Amino acid sequence: MKSLQRVLTVVGAASAVLATTGFAFADPIPETTIWGLPRDASVEGHRVDWLIKTTNGFVILLFVVMCVWMGIAVLKHNKDHKAEYDHGDSKHHIAVAMGISALIFFVVDGNLWFNSTIDVNSTFWNHEAADKDPNAVRIEINAHQWAWDARYAGADGKFNTKDDIVTTNDVRVPVGAPVVLQLASTDVIHSFYLPNFRIKQDAAPGMINRMWFKAKETGDFDIGCTQHCGIHHYKMKARLTVLEPAAYKNWLAEMGTQLSLARSEAANANDKGANWGWEWKRHDDNSDARNGAVSEAEHDHDHKVAAQAGGDR
Amino acid sequence: MSDHVMTKADIEAAEHLQHAHVEPKDFLSRYVFSIDHKYIGKQFLWAGLLFLLFGGLLAMLIRWQWAFPAQPVPVVGKALFPNSGGAITPPAYNTIFTMHGLIMVFFAITPLMIGAFGNYCIPLLIGARDMAFPRLNMYSFWTFVISQALVIASFFVELGSAAAGWTTYPPLSTNVGTPGHGQSLVVLALFVTGIASIMGAVNYITTVIRFRAPGMTWFRMPATVWGLWLTSILNLLFVPVLGSAGILLLFDRNFGTQFFVTGAAGGIGDPILFQHLFWIFGHPEVYILILPVWGFLIDFMSFFSRKPAYWFKGSVYAMISVSVLSAVVYGHHMFVSGMSPLLGQAFMLLTLVISVPAEILFLNWLHTMWKGSIRLTVPMLFALGTVFVFGLGGLTGIYLGTISTDLYLHDTMWVVGHFHLTMASAAFIGSFGALYFWFPKMYGRMTNETLGKVHFWFSVIGVTAVFCGQLLAGYNGQQRRLYDPFQYTYIQHLRDLNKFTSYFAFAMAIGQLSFVVNFFHSIFAGKKAPKNPWDVGTLEWTECDSPPVYHNFDKVPIVLRGPHEYNNPDVLAKTGRDWIGQTEQLPGDEVGLDAVAAE
Repeated sequence: MKSLQRVLTVVGAASAVLATTGFAFADPIPETTIWGLPRDASVEGHRVDWLIKTTNGFVILLFVVMCVWMGIAVLKHNKDHKAEYDHGDSKHHIAVAMGISALIFFVVDGNLWFNSTIDVNSTFWNHEAADKDPNAVRIEINAHQWAWDARYAGADGKFNTKDDIVTTNDVRVPVGAPVVLQLASTDVIHSFYLPNFRIKQDAAPGMINRMWFKAKETGDFDIGCTQHCGIHHYKMKARLTVLEPAAYKNWLAEMGTQLSLARSEAANANDKGANWGWEWKRHDDNSDARNGAVSEAEHDHDHKVAAQAGGDR
Repeated sequence: MSDHVMTKADIEAAEHLQHAHVEPKDFLSRYVFSIDHKYIGKQFLWAGLLFLLFGGLLAMLIRWQWAFPAQPVPVVGKALFPNSGGAITPPAYNTIFTMHGLIMVFFAITPLMIGAFGNYCIPLLIGARDMAFPRLNMYSFWTFVISQALVIASFFVELGSAAAGWTTYPPLSTNVGTPGHGQSLVVLALFVTGIASIMGAVNYITTVIRFRAPGMTWFRMPATVWGLWLTSILNLLFVPVLGSAGILLLFDRNFGTQFFVTGAAGGIGDPILFQHLFWIFGHPEVYILILPVWGFLIDFMSFFSRKPAYWFKGSVYAMISVSVLSAVVYGHHMFVSGMSPLLGQAFMLLTLVISVPAEILFLNWLHTMWKGSIRLTVPMLFALGTVFVFGLGGLTGIYLGTISTDLYLHDTMWVVGHFHLTMASAAFIGSFGALYFWFPKMYGRMTNETLGKVHFWFSVIGVTAVFCGQLLAGYNGQQRRLYDPFQYTYIQHLRDLNKFTSYFAFAMAIGQLSFVVNFFHSIFAGKKAPKNPWDVGTLEWTECDSPPVYHNFDKVPIVLRGPHEYNNPDVLAKTGRDWIGQTEQLPGDEVGLDAVAAE
């Protein structure tokens, strides 16, 4: 009895420590209103939110104008009076129609195009700047039916080596640093979706895709799959945990220790299934790495296959 | 074309080109393998309505699942899902949403809008006695029936029907993700239905080019014919691309090729190639399913506002521009597939440009109504409803054509709401309007106006509530195609939203009974339709009885003016009517045909 109590005490104390250092899951905070976008936890998400919200304004205005126009026409221009005989094809009429269309196009679509072009080039698809940031955290994500595996480079900073840290459905990142992801898939196409960060990117077999984000607050968030990937698509859920940088470092170190313990067991030493990583793809490497997710042992062979397939494309 | 002067020779040539077929007497060639475009149109109508019912019931199962995840389906659950106590299982759910999409797109709306109205309307509206290739037309229908049979058959093989989503993306749609013959049968059905579409398209295109009655210049054609003609061109150009993707996929599934297979399953194929092929077809497809409706709207707005169609040429040019642009925007479906940023931005710009012709169309519809003398007939109500839902659908699309907003909204329920408002709601409500409009001509009987209005309100309020509910769910981030969306914490609060959306869907479905009752009652016991119940001037109403004779026109009509001459002061003064037929000579204006110049 006493020993059990002691064990429980130790476990309790350990969990408390783990909770404060970010080892334990907390549930994401539920949203409260259906009338808005989910909580924005990313440094750059406001760009998407702003563009969506300004477009909402334009769209609601245009829709209301259309409805009022139709409503008045139906109520006022009914069979009580004759219709005006007008083909609407005078130069004046055409100029008005073209003018209104051009105005809507340049204001509404122009706003979307202009801001989206800036946002995409400066931020969302600017993987180069994110990857060059000295604080950047690099993670390889391998999707498979129906889970997300994440791979951290480990102490040596190199992917696809023995000290890589691999987790399943558990992605942890530090707050405030660019998190650069490279995504691949083992089987079918999946899509890595961070609703609270306003981004998603497909993970497809035979290619490595990129995405990046920067968290602005700590907490736990849902990672979803947005590409239909089979029977348990709806369960392909993972957890993103944003930690303070120190807690993140602790977690990574602890994971490294646990890993080396596990590695020492002979059974795990040559676990090819766990060695799905790839050499980090440089930002200027646009070659299409076919069979990106390959096992360490087969790497050289598959690299050649990859090169051939890339050429064929 | 506007300086075309008709001569006696033109008219004789038209009579020669379109000799009147004799109505066959035997049962088979009359009621089964008919080559009469009007009969084939009705066959497509029935085939489409039956599969609309099928696809609609599947939609109800999806809505049940989202409102009450994994709870037994009332009434039919035990029979449909005996092994799970009447609850939809995840594999069954995947089949249900996959087949809902495919059935609605290819086997319900396509036959209804293009098969039924294309066949029924094109020859009548341009003054032709039949299609250019009547026999091909018959083959087209029966090929289509084979494709429908394949769809039905797919439900009865081991492991059930297709389950890889209507987009059928590999590798999921290969044996890696969807084993069994069901998926193969459905892909084959798509290929076969594509053959039927191509046969129809060749026929429609040729008929419009070659068989227009003397004087029926391009801009004297009703907009309905323009819409159907442009749709046929897109079908002819892009359905073969889908066919090629389908054939490659069938090879991958059944003969061990690896065009699209890669990853752990082996193979160095390219799954993304399929997405390109699918969307090169798939984006034109969404315009294929809306262009005929735009045509209906342009005509109905004019007919029932008793006013000429506003800037008709502008509307036609807008439809042509959209048809051309539809070929170069498909990449917006693939913004998150790993597409090159430069390519993505090009597709974004081209996509947004489509706003311009779309705005011209909307402005022309609204301007046509303005200062009109609007008659709120059932077809007009449906036309107004179509503008309403298409407005919502079009406006919610611009978020998805823009890369940065699409990064968030892509493959969420926002997408589902958006395309259901355009290619589902606008397409079906527009087609129902067309059915109420041409029903008197097709069956020689009027439909019941009260039931028609009940149907209208249920349908328009229904689709608006249901698909705005989906838009809202997507705005909150809810992904599409989730068996149980509430696995996720961040959309826990959407349970009630999904429930209410489902209630509206069920109510809308029940409201469709008003159409079923109206349709059958009117066919057998409706009030006899006069020749021209709507007082409009197009050929099918002024030159043909209701229903028309087998060969449509005893004499090939000679067309003198466009289809939208309403409240013309000259006509009012001379005839006392606010409309005039396209072939009608005004009293005092009788002139020798040789001198009849097109306006």
